[in-house]
Amino acid sequence: MVQPVDWMAIAAPLILAGVAVLVLLVDAFAPPGAGRARLTARPGAPREVPVAAVLTVVGVLGAAVPAALSWDQRRGTFCVPHGPCSFVLDRFTLVFWSVVLFGTLVVALMQTAAPKAATPPGEWNFLLLCSATGALTIAASRDLVTLVVSLEVVSLPAFAMVGLRRGIPGAAEAALKFFLVSVVSTAVMLMGVSLLYGATGSVYLRGISSGITSGGPLQRVALVGALLAIVGLAFKVAAVPFHMWVPDTYVGAPVAVAAYLSVVSKSAGFVGLMLLLGFGLPTLAGVWAPVLAVLAALTMTVGNVIALRQQHAVRLLAWSSVAQAGYILVPFGAVASGRAAFGASIGYLAIYAVMNLGAFAVAGVVGSRRPTQRIADYAGLVHEKPLVGWALAFALVALAGLPPGILGLFAKVVVFDAAAGPVTWLAVVMAVNVAIGLVYYVRWLVELFRPSYDGESFTTPRGAGLAVLLTFVAGIVLSVLPGLLLDPFTTVLAQR
Amino acid sequence: MTAAAVALDGLVAVPFVFGVLTLVLGRRRHGGAAIAAAVTGGLVTLGWSIWAVVASGSVLRPAYVDVSWIVALDVRWHLGLDGMSGPLVLMTTLVVACCLVALVRNAPECGGRAGLAALLLVVETGVLGSFLALDMVLFFMFFEVALIPMWFVIDGWGDPHDAAGRRRAATRFLVFTVLGSAMMLVGFLLVHTATGTFDIVRIAASYHPHGALAIGAAVLVGLGLAVKTPLWPLHIWLPDAHAKAPTVGSVVLAAVLLKLGTYGLLRFWMPVTNASWDLLVPFVAGLAVVGIVYAALACLVQTELKRLIAYSSVGHMGFVVLAVATFTVAGVQAAVYASIAHALITGLLFFVAGGIKDRYGTGDLSRLTVLYGRVPRLAGIFAFAAFASLGLPGLAGFWGEMLTVRSALFGAPALPHTTYIVLAVIAAFGVILTTAYFLALMRRMLQGTPAAVQPVNEDVASIELATTEVEPASPVAGAVRPDVNAMEWVAWSPLIALTLVLGVAPGFLLTPVAAAARTFFGGL
Repeated sequence: MVQPVDWMAIAAPLILAGVAVLVLLVDAFAPPGAGRARLTARPGAPREVPVAAVLTVVGVLGAAVPAALSWDQRRGTFCVPHGPCSFVLDRFTLVFWSVVLFGTLVVALMQTAAPKAATPPGEWNFLLLCSATGALTIAASRDLVTLVVSLEVVSLPAFAMVGLRRGIPGAAEAALKFFLVSVVSTAVMLMGVSLLYGATGSVYLRGISSGITSGGPLQRVALVGALLAIVGLAFKVAAVPFHMWVPDTYVGAPVAVAAYLSVVSKSAGFVGLMLLLGFGLPTLAGVWAPVLAVLAALTMTVGNVIALRQQHAVRLLAWSSVAQAGYILVPFGAVASGRAAFGASIGYLAIYAVMNLGAFAVAGVVGSRRPTQRIADYAGLVHEKPLVGWALAFALVALAGLPPGILGLFAKVVVFDAAAGPVTWLAVVMAVNVAIGLVYYVRWLVELFRPSYDGESFTTPRGAGLAVLLTFVAGIVLSVLPGLLLDPFTTVLAQR
Repeated sequence: MTAAAVALDGLVAVPFVFGVLTLVLGRRRHGGAAIAAAVTGGLVTLGWSIWAVVASGSVLRPAYVDVSWIVALDVRWHLGLDGMSGPLVLMTTLVVACCLVALVRNAPECGGRAGLAALLLVVETGVLGSFLALDMVLFFMFFEVALIPMWFVIDGWGDPHDAAGRRRAATRFLVFTVLGSAMMLVGFLLVHTATGTFDIVRIAASYHPHGALAIGAAVLVGLGLAVKTPLWPLHIWLPDAHAKAPTVGSVVLAAVLLKLGTYGLLRFWMPVTNASWDLLVPFVAGLAVVGIVYAALACLVQTELKRLIAYSSVGHMGFVVLAVATFTVAGVQAAVYASIAHALITGLLFFVAGGIKDRYGTGDLSRLTVLYGRVPRLAGIFAFAAFASLGLPGLAGFWGEMLTVRSALFGAPALPHTTYIVLAVIAAFGVILTTAYFLALMRRMLQGTPAAVQPVNEDVASIELATTEVEPASPVAGAVRPDVNAMEWVAWSPLIALTLVLGVAPGFLLTPVAAAARTFFGGL
């Protein structure tokens, strides 16, 4: 039997994977000086064309084309005849693809600021594209095997990306910590998945969903499996108490990788959770929704409280991203009323991606000159580098959820909207947390407007500057017209 | 787009545009041009607001500005202006314009005047947007707009002698307000689940809150607004913030930002609250009265001028909340009137206090004496404002308190009548205490005998101060600057004039408020 393959459906991940191989080959075979062409006519400023990064950007943009063309369609492939499909391309998938592709694009641009001697760009971009391929696939997966394999495809290259820095002792530690935690979480998750398969006799989410409704003695087995799988995914999204790896890993990794982990890799974890819980186990919502509500409350509280004391910019962002993960988890606690509540998580995740990438992009630019990353290193940034400074100010205010960062404000409104009513207590906890979070965002914000740190000017690396600009413009546009993003994203599950 | 729509949209846009313009000019080192742009912006906004209020009339008509903004959240760009919000809008634009004019001559010591002016205009944008918003989420958004700029105002230009203290005050202000407004948002969203709309006009007309969910929503909304107002015991952020802020910051905080809380209670809390609930509304009224007495007692022991005025604000806001908690048209009238009166009088008090601080470098009451003898005009204006604030008949403050006590005696039928009579009596007692501390203040600070000041040698005829080097506890040295200057007269005289006018002719403010309240609430 020949299984038909819908090539259009799998075009985007295929393009990314193909370009990944291409990047590796070009980097290996290109003569060492080939990229030494001058981009600018400015004397004394020879700039190498970052071939690998340019290829990566082109690849990501190329992958976006088939994704955009499929916006109004629903495609499935790798299907059981007359049965469920393993790979489905619909609005839900595409919404995540847009987040993943945007994140990968920004991260690739950010990494061009990193010193080339420390990180080999060919290998690094290869790993980035491989990991992004996994992130695309997981959003489209509709069976547990594809889901687990894609999640590993996201994680495995990420270990190497974290450690791929020569001569920095923290890098190996960061990579090892991340690796160990990730392996353990995968093992736990596989245990859960196998229990689910055993209890329901299907790996397809739809099959699991219908397998559980029949009830019976195996329901408890399924429940244990579900909880184990949740624990595994909770490691990926860094929910408290499975968050311990985050700060050290983020700080030890290059800033671009920290950005990648906090946005793309985290999105992959969230989409895995949504697929498993929303598509596979909706009938058990009565059990897992309260569990996740408690996780959400813990995650945001711990993340915010510990972030209060941080003096290291990336470590602060790491804890803040833990707290933000808590906000994203809030609607999970409210899904008893239906899967549509996930729309709030999706909307928040997308906006969080824009804001957090903005903050990390600026951290990358500043870190290229002042690698210590103390909060005090950001003093006077607004006067020194207005674009970069204002971009960070905007991103911080948006992360805090205050105007003029109106997109951040509405992201919070969306989540509050989902929680108010079904889990009002959680909304109140979140309200308290929003106020706590404000303290450290504002503490950083005020540094930007202080008199300059040392007055020593530096040039913004071109690619990283573009990354800052990209997130800044996206943030401004979405602040004026938040509906542009929120209307399609938050209703993605309500329409079906 | 009709003219009225342009008027409303423009009222939000104009100060923002001028704020950005000021900021840009300030960054280019054109300090003079920047401050000119800011003052122009303040005056244009003032003129624009007069046009908008005249064009809108005193009753909400079917919305001029009502377009869908975020479909997924059911949020609409819905603005309107009526007799309840109109006076507050005019008051805001006037006070901000006065502040900007005051900045022309009184540049802050630490520089960055253009930045301060730009931030004030952005604050004005947020406040005007809040007064115009008729969509709950839109109100919440504008409510938050003013916060970050205000934080910068306090932290950047506040008390120059106490950097850590002003940071703490600014952050406390920010955290308290955001905590409150987040609670308020949760409450709004609960109301939305019950009514299916964020449109406060429709909610006020047709929503009959009942059940546990509605009580929760009303409590959360009330809590958020009570922090802002502030209602005792949620006022603890206020004295610090007011005392540490720069003069114009204190004026804007007291005169304008507190009114977001009182206006929010009128427009957004009353429609989602049911007066017949056993406890909630009388409880709020009780807290308001506690606040009146507490603030008056606190004022008696204050040793710092701006802190004293700040605490007196808590008391005045207590009157406003008590008026709101009567759920009558007379209560709404009293609340709006007292809000406006408080804005004019306390704004003036903070202006004069700032003037005193500029001249003597201190607000320490143990060191300020005999101001009548040294800066007679300044002291005279302070005395005028203090008399207005303690409720002297014939000045604006009187009507706010009188109407409040009266409305508390004739509360809504659903409310416990006896309780309210007791509360009204205690509130009236609070007026006496207010009088006591203001008179004591005037006695201590303005009056005094020259003998209290040690002459340099016995045979000096004129009042001459002992020494130029200031001991911590000694009376302050002579005036650094002379009496009230021309720019201060320009900035302060509108407030003085309106305090007089409103004191003599309260009717022209009360009539549109009553008309608007009857239309908006329908049943009152």
